[in-house]
Amino acid sequence: MTTKLIRPMAAIVIAASLGMAPQAIAADAPDTKTLLKEIQALKKSYESRTAELEKKLKKLEANQSKQAGKAPSSKASGRNISKASGRNIKDNSFNPSIGVILNGRAASFTRGTSEIAGFGVGEEGERGSEGLSLDESELNFSANVDDKFYGSLTAAIVREDGADKVELEEAYIQTLPGAGLPDGARAKAGRAFWTFGYLNEHHSHSDDFADRPLTNRVYLNKAFNDDGVELSYVLPTDFYAEIGGGAFRGDDFPGGGSVSGLGAWSVFARTGGDIGDNQSWRLGVYTLQSDANSRSSNEDMVTFVGRSNLYATDLRYTMAPTGNARDQELIFQAELMYRDDDGTYNDMNAGTGTLNYDESSFGWYAQATYKFAPAWRVGARYSRLHAADTPTGFAGSALDSQGHDPETYSVMGDWTNSEFGRFRLQYNRENLDSGKADNQFIFQYIMSIGAHGAHAY
Amino acid sequence: MNRPRILLLAVAWGMALSSPAAADLRIFACEPEWAALAREVGGEKIDAFSATHALQDPHHIRARPSLISRIRRADVVFCSGADLEVGWLPLLMRRGARSGVQPGTTGYLMAAEHVPVLEKPTVLDRSLGDLHPGGNPHVHLDPQNLAILANELSRRFIQLDAANTDYYRNQLATFQKEWRAAMAGWNSRTAKLSGLPIIVHHKSFTYLIRWAGLKEVATLEVKPGIPPTASHLNGLLQTARSQKVKAILRTPYDPADASEWLSSKTGIAARMLPYTVAKDAPPGALAKLFDRTITILEKAHAGP
Repeated sequence: MTTKLIRPMAAIVIAASLGMAPQAIAADAPDTKTLLKEIQALKKSYESRTAELEKKLKKLEANQSKQAGKAPSSKASGRNISKASGRNIKDNSFNPSIGVILNGRAASFTRGTSEIAGFGVGEEGERGSEGLSLDESELNFSANVDDKFYGSLTAAIVREDGADKVELEEAYIQTLPGAGLPDGARAKAGRAFWTFGYLNEHHSHSDDFADRPLTNRVYLNKAFNDDGVELSYVLPTDFYAEIGGGAFRGDDFPGGGSVSGLGAWSVFARTGGDIGDNQSWRLGVYTLQSDANSRSSNEDMVTFVGRSNLYATDLRYTMAPTGNARDQELIFQAELMYRDDDGTYNDMNAGTGTLNYDESSFGWYAQATYKFAPAWRVGARYSRLHAADTPTGFAGSALDSQGHDPETYSVMGDWTNSEFGRFRLQYNRENLDSGKADNQFIFQYIMSIGAHGAHAY
Repeated sequence: MNRPRILLLAVAWGMALSSPAAADLRIFACEPEWAALAREVGGEKIDAFSATHALQDPHHIRARPSLISRIRRADVVFCSGADLEVGWLPLLMRRGARSGVQPGTTGYLMAAEHVPVLEKPTVLDRSLGDLHPGGNPHVHLDPQNLAILANELSRRFIQLDAANTDYYRNQLATFQKEWRAAMAGWNSRTAKLSGLPIIVHHKSFTYLIRWAGLKEVATLEVKPGIPPTASHLNGLLQTARSQKVKAILRTPYDPADASEWLSSKTGIAARMLPYTVAKDAPPGALAKLFDRTITILEKAHAGP
């Protein structure tokens, strides 16, 4: 109710200060007079409106007390009201909202090393560490900047090479619908998990498995979060359709070592809808085209220089009986990625020297998770890479797949105590090179404290 | 460079696909009761869509693609507010909603901001369950609240569609007249239910309980949003007997097992109240909702 009163008051103050502005005083006398008159009229109308509002308020209060009289038995709720008005702490939210993700794991692997044959793999795409360890601890600050912009920053604290490091995962601003762009349009600038397939946009704490599938590990070094800008537009159609594109610095995998500072761009389109009350789907196509001036992988021993073009398509399908995803839900999700590398590779470990390379490869994964009770889910995933042919001169190097296509089978089960806490046990069987399979067990917890925004579909 | 041209073409294609400007106001309601109220007040001049149906728990909805496209074209967003939809509405609003339906505009109507809200918590901590900082958001089960919101909604429709002012005024007057008459009937029926001791699954019926003068003895949920546990239910056995509880009430979207278990142990009937109307409810459905609810409560009062 106070906000209702504040609005007219604010208008009066603004009108009054406008009236006192130097331009108005400097203006001709008749103008000042008409202005004053207008202000008077404005004031009058607002006074009458305020009175009207007060009258309404009184009526409402009278109604309420009548109501309280009518229900003598509802003592409990009556007490609650008086308590609430006595110490009215509306919420515990800060501005900006602060959220923390706590994340830890225990892992056991049967193989000492894990190399993905035929591919140069970045640091983030490697297998996690064995034994007890912390995963990324995420710290997020986000809030509306004003009526036109929203801002968010996510920092991950990770342990790399025996030292704790802060990794800036996201730091972006984004337009709100009031920013003056056409309805349905949105601009985002800074560093963010950009739109490319399903998983890339999401923080790993919301993943359904403890690790990312081979496609995202190899082609995106876990996730593409370069510095850049992205525009998107939701079409005013009956079914969901969205198009967009971005321009990026070109420093992040699949790019790297940007010289010009503008080395990558993307385009995407998405559509989706419902099938009846219980089923939903979304389908997207994406491309990300990068100039890699120097893309390092395999502990900086393998370097690619050249053009790297990525194409992807993703599908997500959900089914929840009676539409209550909280009780029971089946989720099917798949992504296919195709990469065309045209440039030179150099594997310093194998001593290949800088050799021309123009090959393409693709990979995909498909996964299903089933929530059979509100707190319990099980899931299975298969992911596979189809390595490129080994060009002459690369035999025995990291780019030599030796005719083997890397693949991973995963199964997981997780228990969710509340929306904010989850435990997961996962088993992976990885056949990443022509050697023996790597059997992995991962036990993981993911907890969130503070503000935690809703996850997108 | 013909990439920008392709983008422009795609945009033009999208514009062409979108249906030509229909005169009707498009209402995006988060729950079926608000879509139904919009149909009462807006009549044939509006087109109301409900994001959820009667069997869905409005606390937990996915921000699905189809909802983005719906809210993208809405002239009015009409929801319960008080954080009931906090898990999905903000996402939809940021992603798709037009500037005319953002918070603070005529097109943005949150029911809980216009009626007296009950159960505002004084202390917030997640260990106390899934508390709504804004108070209990299930405000529609008090018919007086619906009368208040009908006025507010009509005012908004007139602001957005001034050409049909007379139509909206007539529509509202008719609705309010019928509603007053219906309420008089309900009041005399609920007077006999005063003090009826009941157990509820979740605090979904707080406004109904207060309006009808019932006595909420306990909830099956341990804490708001935290599912019933065996030990909590065992504790309720004693309470149910000593307080002479007459009914165990739940909504259609609450799981039945806890209330059925308690019912089988105590002999007290477990009853499902309709809670809301159908997704595409025709005019008159809201009145039927209260009729049916009171009939079920009368049965509980009469005994098993």
